[in-house]
Amino acid sequence: MIRVRGMRKSYRTGRVVNEVLHGVDLDIADGDMVSIVGPSGSGKSTLLHALGGLDRDYEGTIEVDGRDLHKLSDADLSDYRNRHVGFIFQAFNLLENMSCRDNVALPATFARGQDAPAKDKAYARAAELLTRVGLQDKILASPNTLSGGQKQRVAIARALFSRPKMMLCDEPTGNLDTKTGAAVVDLFRQLNAEDGITILIVTHDPRISALTHRTVRVEDGQLHENGETAALTKGDDADEDDAAEEADDDDDAQEASE
Amino acid sequence: MRSARLLAIVGRNLKRSRTHFLLASIGIIVGIATFFFFLSLGLGVRNVVLGKIFPLDKLEVIPKSLDVALGPVMLPTGSDIIDDAMVAKIKEIPGVETVYPKMKLTVPAVATGGKSLMGADIRAELPADGIDPDLVVGELKPGFEFKDWDDPANAATPVACQKDKECADDMYCGPPPMTREAADDDGKGTKLPKNEEKVCRHYIPILVSNHILELYNGTLRRAHNFPKLNPDSVLGFKFDVEIGDSFMGGTKDERIFERAMMVGFSDKAIALGVTMPIGYTRRLNVAFGAEDDAQRYHSVIVKVPIKDDVARVAHGVEQLDLLVEDSGAEQAALLIAVFMMVFGAVSAVIVGIAAVNIMHVFFMLVYERQRDIGIMRAVGASRGDIGKIILGEAAALGLLAGIAGVGLALAAGSGFDSISANYVPDFPYKPTTYFEYPWWLFASALAYSVGFCVLGAFLPARRAARMEPARVLSGQ
Ligand SMILES: Nc1ncnc2c1ncn2[C@@H]1O[C@H](COP(=O)(O)OP(=O)(O)OP(=O)(O)O)[C@@H](O)[C@H]1O
Ligand SMILES: [Mg+2]
Repeated sequence: MIRVRGMRKSYRTGRVVNEVLHGVDLDIADGDMVSIVGPSGSGKSTLLHALGGLDRDYEGTIEVDGRDLHKLSDADLSDYRNRHVGFIFQAFNLLENMSCRDNVALPATFARGQDAPAKDKAYARAAELLTRVGLQDKILASPNTLSGGQKQRVAIARALFSRPKMMLCDEPTGNLDTKTGAAVVDLFRQLNAEDGITILIVTHDPRISALTHRTVRVEDGQLHENGETAALTKGDDADEDDAAEEADDDDDAQEASE
Repeated sequence: MRSARLLAIVGRNLKRSRTHFLLASIGIIVGIATFFFFLSLGLGVRNVVLGKIFPLDKLEVIPKSLDVALGPVMLPTGSDIIDDAMVAKIKEIPGVETVYPKMKLTVPAVATGGKSLMGADIRAELPADGIDPDLVVGELKPGFEFKDWDDPANAATPVACQKDKECADDMYCGPPPMTREAADDDGKGTKLPKNEEKVCRHYIPILVSNHILELYNGTLRRAHNFPKLNPDSVLGFKFDVEIGDSFMGGTKDERIFERAMMVGFSDKAIALGVTMPIGYTRRLNVAFGAEDDAQRYHSVIVKVPIKDDVARVAHGVEQLDLLVEDSGAEQAALLIAVFMMVFGAVSAVIVGIAAVNIMHVFFMLVYERQRDIGIMRAVGASRGDIGKIILGEAAALGLLAGIAGVGLALAAGSGFDSISANYVPDFPYKPTTYFEYPWWLFASALAYSVGFCVLGAFLPARRAARMEPARVLSGQ
């Protein structure tokens, strides 16, 4: 359960302060699959980074399963990223000097406490995840020998390593062709449906947002929600609060044209 | 566990950036090598100087006006002389373990001999002093004794003889102790008198300072083309001594003829001359001088086992109106300390500059790796983890560079030693090694290297830890 209240974020470049998000509210239920759309530079990535605990320099509150991300120490916030969040980026962001297996097992390096897996267990899990994304023959390969789609699947395996409750995907298909992108999105839908992982996808592709339960539009520092998809969410999750709050937002008919 | 996993990342990064690190470490290696080389050299030289040339665990105490008592008004203040009473007072000073009076031979003496060692007989003025045999207990090689054989108090009954063969192996047949002979008219050339009454005699045991052998082997012998002597070949060397004679012309009209034998080397021996048991010099001084010459000591060696007590004892000695002879040890120690400090400072400058270079390299690396750092942050690395990884790389770099620097210094040291052994002519106190390598020197060289590398990487590590991961990750 993600609950964002009055979140403001501004970037300061020299003396110029540019407020990107003007105090936004957002609720996302567990197991939901939400697309985030909006024009370039509107603040989609900014929102995602804050939700994932990569950025804590904002005003307002972000609560995930009852913990206020703002109040976590750097170590606890790191642990939150390590165990509860899987990030997927447009640029894949794999470490080029490591094998696919080491990339997938990277979260084990930074795991804290007793449940940090031993090296052989971490490698076994990495192999299992690479098999799951169809890369069983690339376990020891270097990422720079892979195609874009393969790289993104390694990144997905890495995001799944710690069995996170949610995956934050920032234009995951932006560097992929339509067919490969569709396969990746299928994988997300499968993870959402079978494993119940909450999935947030930032995308410019209306075909992808059409496949999600909800679509949130970021524009002019505000969030707007399409009534239709909101109803869908409401029906699926019976989250009354959510629907009541976002019913006021203007419907955005232009969304399909993005 | 967790740190072991972070360490694995450190190792991976070291391997990845090895070219950068190799270049960055050259300065550190040179600086640490400088530090290690010159400090071990200083310690080694100090060892030779303070251990062999100027031992620091004993003081030599001399009367204030021994050689100046020639003024018109001679005031016998008591401090002119060190007598038995004064020796007892010195012994009372806290910190003093034992005292050994030394008595110079105040009668001229001339030695003749040396053919067996150097191929020609040498006749030389022989400065001599006497010390208590207890002072050198345990210093002599087996088979040699430093003992007052002619001490009237416990001498063996004399055995009459005509020839050396009739006596034991290490004895000769000669006139009884203290036999005075009339001086030869020519004043030169020792002629043993044809005395009918002869007894078996022990040679006067002679100790010689290491300085003499060092001086001889290091410089004198080459001027005269004499063979190099090793200490063992000198032991047992015998020569004649004519007491009461001098190059300057005999001052006494009577002589005493003795034979002497080298029994050992000791740093307690007189620097230039020979040292015999004090009984001999005492009897000879009395024979040619006055009764109270028997307790006129020329100096007293004071043993101070604890180095820190030396200053206190020196003060106590001055209170007794006596002087501590300046051995030069303190100046030598100071000189070496200054030498070590200068090169320590030089190495600090080199290592300091190297640390600045390391800082630049790490800033560059952090910039190059910002995406990787962002990725690690995204999967759960904290700011502290990132800082630790960077500092860990610096520490590992410092350790490796330190080991390389120490290795370089050791190699240079052994090269230096072997050049000295093979190409540098002998000189007094030429050591087989100029270096000393105590364990703490290794430890401090490595700590120094690691410390400066970590210091150099501190700001880059802080920048890496504070970097905002979000921007680099969403950039294409
Ligand atoms: N680190 C930063 N410093 C200054 N300004 C920033 C920074 N990151 C983002 N911005 C600005 O904040 C605004 C929102 O950026 P953000 O990356 O969130 O947009 P976006 O919606 O993800 O755009 P895109 O669709 O192009 O990815 C942009 O105007 C951008 O220039
Ligand atoms: Mg973006």
